[in-house]
Amino acid sequence: MSRKPYQPPMPASWWLKHPAYRFYMLREATVLPLLFFIGSLLYGLYALGQGEASWLQYQAWLQQPWVLALNGLALLASLFHAWTFFVLFPQVMPLRLGSRTLPAWLMVSAQWAGVLLVILALWWLLGGLDAHQ
Amino acid sequence: MPTTEIRLQRYRPEQDNAPHWQDFRVEYDDSTSVLDALEQIKAEQDSSVSYRWSCRMAICGSCGVMVDGVPKLGCKTFLRDYPKGLTLAPLSHFPIEKDLIVDMSRFLAHLSAIKPYLIAEAAPKGKPYRQTPAQLARYKQFSNCINCGLCYSACPQFGLKPDFLGPAAIALAHRYNLDSRDQGKSERMAQLNSDNGVWGCTFVGYCSTVCPKGVDPAAAVNQGKIASTLDGVIQWFKPGKETSK
Repeated sequence: MSRKPYQPPMPASWWLKHPAYRFYMLREATVLPLLFFIGSLLYGLYALGQGEASWLQYQAWLQQPWVLALNGLALLASLFHAWTFFVLFPQVMPLRLGSRTLPAWLMVSAQWAGVLLVILALWWLLGGLDAHQ
Repeated sequence: MPTTEIRLQRYRPEQDNAPHWQDFRVEYDDSTSVLDALEQIKAEQDSSVSYRWSCRMAICGSCGVMVDGVPKLGCKTFLRDYPKGLTLAPLSHFPIEKDLIVDMSRFLAHLSAIKPYLIAEAAPKGKPYRQTPAQLARYKQFSNCINCGLCYSACPQFGLKPDFLGPAAIALAHRYNLDSRDQGKSERMAQLNSDNGVWGCTFVGYCSTVCPKGVDPAAAVNQGKIASTLDGVIQWFKPGKETSK
């Protein structure tokens, strides 16, 4: 008897089929607002090199509502991506102390503690600069 | 006894050019599994319905099906959890042979490609190959795979690129690479380093969600990325040797 296997198609909309796939695509899509943020940074560097007038123009551009909104979205997207990354981290790099593996919640908490430390350090650094002006 | 509706995807290669749906009504109680329901359909309603099964206790890995679009073992899924009825389809991403039976030969080829066995010099004659509980703990979780293929149905990368070694095969390679008795890692790395190896994975992570044995293949694959990177760096510093890519 001859065989006639049917190969089901894999449509471009495959990721709409299940919440797990939609979540994955959302995680990957966080790169889009981050691209805009990187563009903003590069524009700032370029403006800085062009002199004061250009730098002031860049600052005015930054304060437009749509730029603020997109950069706000980029912040939310990076926090969301960080959250997914931190949760996956213990799966990828389980840390062992002797024969025991560190519990996942401890590793996730430690990473958030790291984020908090960086934010506090930046806040202190920028606050310090203000105080000298 | 209450009854419920089962919508079954049929594909009969002699008559059909594409799958279609057929509805069945089955009786069930709290202990009726999807596999029990299929047996009821085959015995009482349509003897041509085809599916795979063997142990009925989530050990053999034969009865994987899509239940409402989610890969599950038929014997470990119960009708009581689907009071509004359910749909049954063959495992996604595999060629369908007939009804719920898929052709798993590609998966099996990927499994054998990673040399899933101990590659080691024999233990001293007459003595067991000793391993401490800590050494066992390193790989034990990854050795619980029953080769049911649910993770391949959950993996969109396997669906898009069938040459991708896939979750179970890479998890098994990782299992042997982590085994203190094994010396075959260098023979497996060429497969794992390739584009169809660990780097074909984008960490969707759904494979670990559907795994009925808690193997967490996504962890194995992504730990494999670290192993592959280290292997690349080590090969790079070795004088006069080709990388194992």
